Amino acid sequence: MSIRPDLLSTTRLALRGLVGLNILLGAGIAGLFALSLYAPIWLQTALGARTQAAPSLMTGMRLVMLIGLAGIPLAYLFLTRLLAMVDSVRDGDPFIAENARRLQVIAWAMLGIQGLNLAEGLVCAVFPLELDWSPSVDGWLGVLLLFVLARVFDIGIRMRADLDGTV
Amino acid sequence: MAVLVKLDDMLHARRMTLSELAERVDITLANLSILKTGKARAIRFSTLDAICTVLECQPGDLLAHDPSTRQEKEE
Repeated sequence: MSIRPDLLSTTRLALRGLVGLNILLGAGIAGLFALSLYAPIWLQTALGARTQAAPSLMTGMRLVMLIGLAGIPLAYLFLTRLLAMVDSVRDGDPFIAENARRLQVIAWAMLGIQGLNLAEGLVCAVFPLELDWSPSVDGWLGVLLLFVLARVFDIGIRMRADLDGTV
Repeated sequence: MAVLVKLDDMLHARRMTLSELAERVDITLANLSILKTGKARAIRFSTLDAICTVLECQPGDLLAHDPSTRQEKEE
C-alpha cells in the first residue's frame, strides 16, 4: 500500500502547523507563568478563580504551567522527527538508519510527555485545582508501541543492508 | 572477507564474457560485476545454481576460502 502524494503533503503541512502551534503554546504558557509571578491577582481573576483563593492554588497553577513548558521541547522533538520521517517517505527511501533513530527519539519524547502527564495528575491531587485530569492508558500503550516499532525498524534496516549486498 | 570468487578465471577458461553470462543466467551485469569483483556480501543459491548450470561447474569451482586475504585486508 503506497501513501498518496496529496496525503503526504497534507500530513507535512499539518505537522508544520503543529510545530508552529507548539512554539506559540510555549510562548503563551511562558507569558502566563510570568503573569503568575508579577500579577497573580489579575491572573486569578482572569482565569475565573476567587480572588481570596488559597495561595496553594497559585502554586498549583504555576506547577501545571511549568509542566506544560517542559512538554514543549518534547512535543517539538516528537513533531520535528516525525516531519523528517515523512520527508524521507516523500524522498522515496524511508528505510534508513536515521529513521530508526528518529522513531526512538519520538518514543523517548512520548515517554517524557507521559511522565509529565503523571506529574500533572500529582499536582492536581495535591493542590486544589479544578482540572479534569485522568491517567492516559492509550498514551502508555503508544509509548510501548513506539519503542517496539523503533526496534522492528532498526532490525528491518539491518536486514535490508544485508540484502543490498546479496547477488 | 576470506571467501574468494573465481568467476573471472571460470569465464576466461570458457572464453565467455561477463555480459554473455549475464544474458544466459538472467542476472544483471551490475550484480554479476559485484560478484566478480568480490564486493558481494552474500550469494543466493538460485544465483549459484544458474551460474553453475551455464558454466557447467560445481559451486566449489567458483568459490574458495583463503584466510590470508582477510589478514592482508586487516593489515
